[in-house]
Parts: sequence; structure tokens; C-alpha cells
Amino acid sequence: MKPILECSRLTKKYGDFFALSDLSLTLERGQIIGLLGPNGSGKTTLIKLANGLLTPTDGHILINGMTPCPKTKQIVSYLPDCSFINEHMRVQDILSYYTDFFSNFSTERASAMLDALEIDRRSRLSSLSKGTKEKVQLALVMSRDADLYILDEPIGGVDPAARDFILKTILTNYREDAAVLISTHLIADIENVLDRVLFLRNGQLALNATVDDIRTEYGKSVDALFREVFKC
Amino acid sequence: MLGKLVKYDLKASGKLFLLIHIIYLLTCLMVRFFYVNQLDFEAPAVPLFTSIVIASALMLFIITAVCICTWLQITFRFYRNLFGKEGYLTWTLPASSTEHLWAKLLSGYLLSAANTVIIAIGILILVTGENVTAFYAQFAPTFTAELGVPLTTYALWLFLYSLAGGICSVIWIYFCITAGQLFPGHRVLCAIAVYFIFGFVIQALSFLILFLSGYFPGYNHMASQGITAAAYLTGTLLISTVLIVIITVLQYAAMHYIMKRQINLL
Repeated sequence: MKPILECSRLTKKYGDFFALSDLSLTLERGQIIGLLGPNGSGKTTLIKLANGLLTPTDGHILINGMTPCPKTKQIVSYLPDCSFINEHMRVQDILSYYTDFFSNFSTERASAMLDALEIDRRSRLSSLSKGTKEKVQLALVMSRDADLYILDEPIGGVDPAARDFILKTILTNYREDAAVLISTHLIADIENVLDRVLFLRNGQLALNATVDDIRTEYGKSVDALFREVFKC
Repeated sequence: MLGKLVKYDLKASGKLFLLIHIIYLLTCLMVRFFYVNQLDFEAPAVPLFTSIVIASALMLFIITAVCICTWLQITFRFYRNLFGKEGYLTWTLPASSTEHLWAKLLSGYLLSAANTVIIAIGILILVTGENVTAFYAQFAPTFTAELGVPLTTYALWLFLYSLAGGICSVIWIYFCITAGQLFPGHRVLCAIAVYFIFGFVIQALSFLILFLSGYFPGYNHMASQGITAAAYLTGTLLISTVLIVIITVLQYAAMHYIMKRQINLL
């Protein structure tokens, strides 16, 4: 089986600034991967490149052996770090939208999650609180039977109770043969669910190791190692 | 996929579009029944024509406002859905860039064409009163002689031309927004700059072509040479049509390339 994500000498430049520089890495299925690094390290750039939202300056990125295209978009479920749905839409309309466009979207699973969150489907997205909006968006993203889930800061703007819900949602909704790539600053909150971590620094890979290896080799938690590596 | 994209585009713009155009049609009906139908063309000329000029200016203002609203709707939908926050979802749908582009062209053109048709219906409501047609009948032969065809035929051609020209206008707007995305920052401002710079270049080009083909400085100059208004209008219309078609094809090609190869959502 082809790796779910593969980068080779991937570079993205904005003017003279290298957001990503010569990045090469391979991610296999069946794991939850933490994409970690300080602000401006290139996490979101890598995520956008994987989703075809940016054009690489050099090198290439492959999803299941293909450059980002409609076929890869069918197997990648992406949660951006901002509100990405037309806020005038009602929750029920958003469900119809996902059902129409994504053949792997499970309306039943999404409905069950929305019911658990007690979200009225007739509500417009604009009338919901920031945290509730993020939950709705996560519910939609995790209701797809995707091969790769890419979640950019999924727990950034919500309270600790909502974080627990989000992490539970991620853990209970992804398939064993799928991979989840999570970008976050809140390492301590998600450390326990991660299998592997990628540390990015100045657009380059600083570390690519399993969480178990980190604990054995460094005798530290991922959070403690991150603080050490990226000490200001 | 294309059909679904068009459906959601129309759904997003439909309600406001309908509301604006229903208000426009109701205004036209009210002006027809409470003003146009009451006009007495036998009345003293000065107060009569003053009131007609004021009413026409008002209706022209309303028609312009309706057109601007429609164009703003088409523009905002394209920008927000592809290059705003909604772009994060739009570009991750399992659809190709060509499908996205065609969906926006079709939905944008449908709105533009519907706007043209509704504006035309409104104008018809305003000018088809018995008193107006009877008054116009006195001058009809003069108009027909000048235009080469009856005014109704000429208006029909103008309507069809506007209907066809809608696609060029949609591509023009989309091209400016898409070209604005090539800049690293201030992309909306850059799109507006592209609009004005291109507008200026095309205006200059049009003047140059009209000058070289002898249509400049205008009809008054040509009338002295015995050329009819009909010949003048047909000539200028033909030249502008050829120019617009060439520009539209180039803009479409550039837009297609940018959307396929240079997408960079910030």
C-alpha cells in the first residue's frame, strides 16, 4: 500500500521567506500524527500544500501516490484553522452540502454527533458560539470515511471540556487503516492520543519519531521535549 | 459535480437576487400605473417634459442600482467562495479547478442574464402604455429612418447584445479577482487595480482602433460625411464586439491557467 502522504524536497517560498524548505517525509496509515512546531514553522503551509490550497515552489507532495487533485480530495478530510463554511447556512443545509459533495460522508454519524452536542439543525452557523461552530465543523470532517484526516488546530479555541469531546470524536471516528495528522500548540492535551510526532522548525523537519521512542530515548514527554527543542 | 456546484452558487445568491428584482418590478408597475398612465401628452410641454426627465432619471438610477447589486452579488460570491475563508472548503471538494471555474461562470452568467431579462421586462412595463405608444407613433418614422430599423427591432438587438455581453462582463470581473490572487498581499486592492488598469488599457485600445478605422471622433463628424446613424452604430458595434471577444478569450485563458496552476490561498 502506498504511503498516505509523501513529500520530497518540498519547498514553499513567499517572496524571500521560506515557509517550507526541502522537506522530505513519509507518513504511513494507521497512526495519529502530531504536527508540532512554533508559530511560523510551516505547519499550516504543509497542510495547505497537502490539500492543494497552495502550489509548491519546488519539490512535490503526494497523497496516496497522487499529487493533490479531485481524487485525493475525495480521500482527505480537512479541518482548517478558521471558520470555513458560509455562516448564513443552516446546520441542516451544511449536512446536505456535505452529503451532496462527499460520497464518503455519513449523515447518520454526523447527525448522531450533532444530537449528542444538542445542536439545533435549523440554526444558522452565524448564530452559534465560536466553540459550537468548531464542534459542528469537526463533526462534519470526522463524519467522512476518509483515508487521511488533516486537522489544523482543532482544539485551539475551545474550553477544556470541549477539547475532551473533540479528542474523543477524533479517536472514535477514524478507521484503523486511516491516518490523522493534527497540528496544534496544545501538546499536553493531545499527547496521549498521538502515535508519532513531527517537529517542524523554520520549514524543516527537526524530528520525526514515535511517541514511544521519545519516551524511551529521551525519557521525557513530548510536551517536555518540545519545550526543550524550541526553547526561546 | 458541475451541476451541484452551480446549484449551491445559485442557492447562495438566489434569495437576495429575487428580493431586489421583485422590488424593482413592483416599482416599475407602480410607476406605470400611478405616473406613466396618467401622462397627458397634450399638456403644456415644459412641465410635462420636466416631470418625464425627473421620472426617467429616477428610473435610470433604480436600474443602475439593481445592476450594481447584481454585479456585487456575482463578484462577492466568486471572491468569497473561492478566495475567502469559504475557499478552504470549496477547493477541497472533489472537483477540478475547471469545474469550479465553469460553475462560477454558469451561475454568474445565469444571474447576469436573469438581471438583463428582468430589467428589460421592467422597461417594457414602463413604456408600453397606450398613451406612450400613441405619442411615439408620431416620431416613429424619423427614428426608423435614422436607425435603419424600427426602434423595437433596434431595442431587441440591443437586448440580445446585452444578454450575450453578460458572459464577457462576468469573465472580466472574475479575471480581475483571479489576477489579484497572484499578488502576495492586499489582494482585493490588487484586483481593483487590475480592473482599472485593464479598463484603461482597453479604452485606449478601443480609441486607437476607432480612430484608425475612421469612427473617431464620433457620429456628428460622420454625419457631415453623409453616413447614417445606423451605419455608424453597426460599425462601432462590430468593432467593439470583435475587440471584446478577443479580450474575453485571453482573460478566460489566463484565469484558467491561474486557477489550475497558481492557486495560493493565504
